[in-house]
Amino acid sequence: MLKSFRNLALGLIAATGLAASAARADDQVRIGLLCDVTGPVANFVPPMLDAAKLVVAQVNAQGGILGGKQLVTVVADTQGAPQTAVDAANKLVNAEHVPIVVGPLLSGTVLASAQSVIVPAGVVQISPSATTPVLTTLKDRDWVFRVVPSDAYQGPVLARLLIDKGFKRVALTYANDDYAVGIAGTFRTAYKKLGGVLTADLQHDEKKKTFRTELATLAKNKPQALVLIAFAGASGVTMVKEALEGGFFTQFVGTDSLRDKILIEQVGEQNLKGIFFTSPSSPPGTPSMEAFETAYSAAYQTTKDKLFIQQVYDATFLAALAIQKAGSLDRAKIRAALRQISGPGGDVIKPGDWKKAIDLIAAGKKIDYQGASGDCNFDKNGDVAGVIGHFVIEEGSFKEVGLVTP
Amino acid sequence: MDTGTILYLISLATMAGLYAILTLGLDLQWGFAGLFNAGVAGFFAIGAYATSILTTPGSEDRLGGFDLPIPLGLGAGVLLSAGLGYAVARICLRLKSDYLAIATIGIAEILRLILRNEAWMTGGNRGIAGIPRPFEDMDQPWGELCFLLVVAGFVVLLYVGIERAWHSPWGRVMRAIRENEEAAEAAGKDVIAFRTHVFTLGAAVMGLAGGLMAHYLKFIGPDATEPILTTFLAWVMLIAGGSGNNRGAILGAALIWIIWSGTELLTQRLPSDWQTRSSYIRVFLIGLLLQIVLQRFSRGLLPEKPPRPGGGKPG
Repeated sequence: MLKSFRNLALGLIAATGLAASAARADDQVRIGLLCDVTGPVANFVPPMLDAAKLVVAQVNAQGGILGGKQLVTVVADTQGAPQTAVDAANKLVNAEHVPIVVGPLLSGTVLASAQSVIVPAGVVQISPSATTPVLTTLKDRDWVFRVVPSDAYQGPVLARLLIDKGFKRVALTYANDDYAVGIAGTFRTAYKKLGGVLTADLQHDEKKKTFRTELATLAKNKPQALVLIAFAGASGVTMVKEALEGGFFTQFVGTDSLRDKILIEQVGEQNLKGIFFTSPSSPPGTPSMEAFETAYSAAYQTTKDKLFIQQVYDATFLAALAIQKAGSLDRAKIRAALRQISGPGGDVIKPGDWKKAIDLIAAGKKIDYQGASGDCNFDKNGDVAGVIGHFVIEEGSFKEVGLVTP
Repeated sequence: MDTGTILYLISLATMAGLYAILTLGLDLQWGFAGLFNAGVAGFFAIGAYATSILTTPGSEDRLGGFDLPIPLGLGAGVLLSAGLGYAVARICLRLKSDYLAIATIGIAEILRLILRNEAWMTGGNRGIAGIPRPFEDMDQPWGELCFLLVVAGFVVLLYVGIERAWHSPWGRVMRAIRENEEAAEAAGKDVIAFRTHVFTLGAAVMGLAGGLMAHYLKFIGPDATEPILTTFLAWVMLIAGGSGNNRGAILGAALIWIIWSGTELLTQRLPSDWQTRSSYIRVFLIGLLLQIVLQRFSRGLLPEKPPRPGGGKPG
């Protein structure tokens, strides 16, 4: 028994060592795809890997990368948990030596892999879908990026819209859930910075049946409006109703959580004059989005009901562009290059424009990648701006009247 | 070997060491005393969350953080975990073995749901980020190596401590109770008290594993305390290594973690058309290898060797 154990152990160690130091072909450039392939979001992953494959196919069909080398991706599976995410990131960054990592998808696996492995190693990481506000303030020494806006992005946008419309004194109330607390926090900071005054700032328990006491407190000191960050179905509609009945407020402002059909149905459009909302919106049919739709549908039938494929595509394409721009696999050069190729400013590159991009880079021109999911312009925290719309109620339904930027 | 490969091997050894601590905790409870604890995840989570809340810088999204030194956080995690172990032991140890298993599963699940839902305290689904790791300011790979040494130090310390306990009169009583409860009781031993001791000790060790893991990952969230990566894995490691044998527990942890992690290096060599499938092939490979290990070494790689009376050499 001992002998067979020794054989087993030796075999395993040899296999691991062999695999870890397997020869890497010099005619390939490898991008790490750190992905939650198995685990809680397993269902969403295959179409996303298709999106990454589409980038690989386009790059290799249009002249390859770094002077004709083949682009390939190496997938590592986080299994959806922090322990295994750290392990998988270690394999990509240290055993496989990838110069840049795309992924993972979940906020938890991103935070663990970034803090524990990827940032200390000094490798660029681009998450396609982690929306946690924690990533914005993470001490990542500028190695972590994402192509999806933070949950908290709506706060500053809401603040800007209020100031632009002349609301300088408002009362703020928000529900006690993750979403509302997050948006309220960033709204508060941004609004005060823009010179607004919060006459009241109150968190409420969304499960309460009545809010008359809270509303009486909120209505003190004559605010111009009530900013209500809560789900219509939870405390939102009740608060609006009671505020109208008690004569506390007539002017309301909300976010996407309040922008719900039941608000109009239960309160009535005639009682909601002047109300407006901010809400995430899709970019109007941009040429970039159409280019992606066409290419993806041609290769994989349809883009319908597939989540975050645009973001995965953009993250992978940006990674390839950054390597090309850096001209080498040097990790620090790739980080500098990522900001240079994502804009703003320069010749516009759409999804699939690989040949055009390498020619422009070769000619020393500045390029600006406009992605399928948005413009992919990173701010100083490595975040992208979301597309947030300004909505009002018209003829019994919600209508988008414009886009807002903070 | 280049730095990258060394870093990967260090991470492999660190994770194996962390799981070895967890497995040693389980070995105390199951290998020594025959107490079936199916709620390893709960004790692991208490240790992890306690030290995370205590050692992180302040945050308005949750309780704390209190920015305390890491040893203090780890110590508090161990104490809390031991306290929970004591409470569970007091409530459940009168139950017969299979009922104890059910009770511990229940308690671990309740804890996990509390940690997931009481966001004011734990950050809920967002978890806790920015947990400090000792030596993280040092250059690679020295910081990683120092952390590995700390983990290895704990493993050695626990191994020596538990071995001594195993050979002491206390350890003999434990084995007596495990093999024949009535006989031990007839010999005048307070079975419940002995069991409470060992269960509490085991829980404390599991809390330590959780705490160290949180500092290593620098992030803790509800997904990190899923039973598959805590309870299930610790059990597989213990059974594969050989329950009742501390060296076996450590060896089992190392072997199973190498299988868990190393298989991916093999499946990554598959052609890229197999990208999605390769991750599932790996999960299949893990299962297959576990089967082989458990089938071939049904008593564990290093089976238990109880010391002979009169001071025979330990197994």
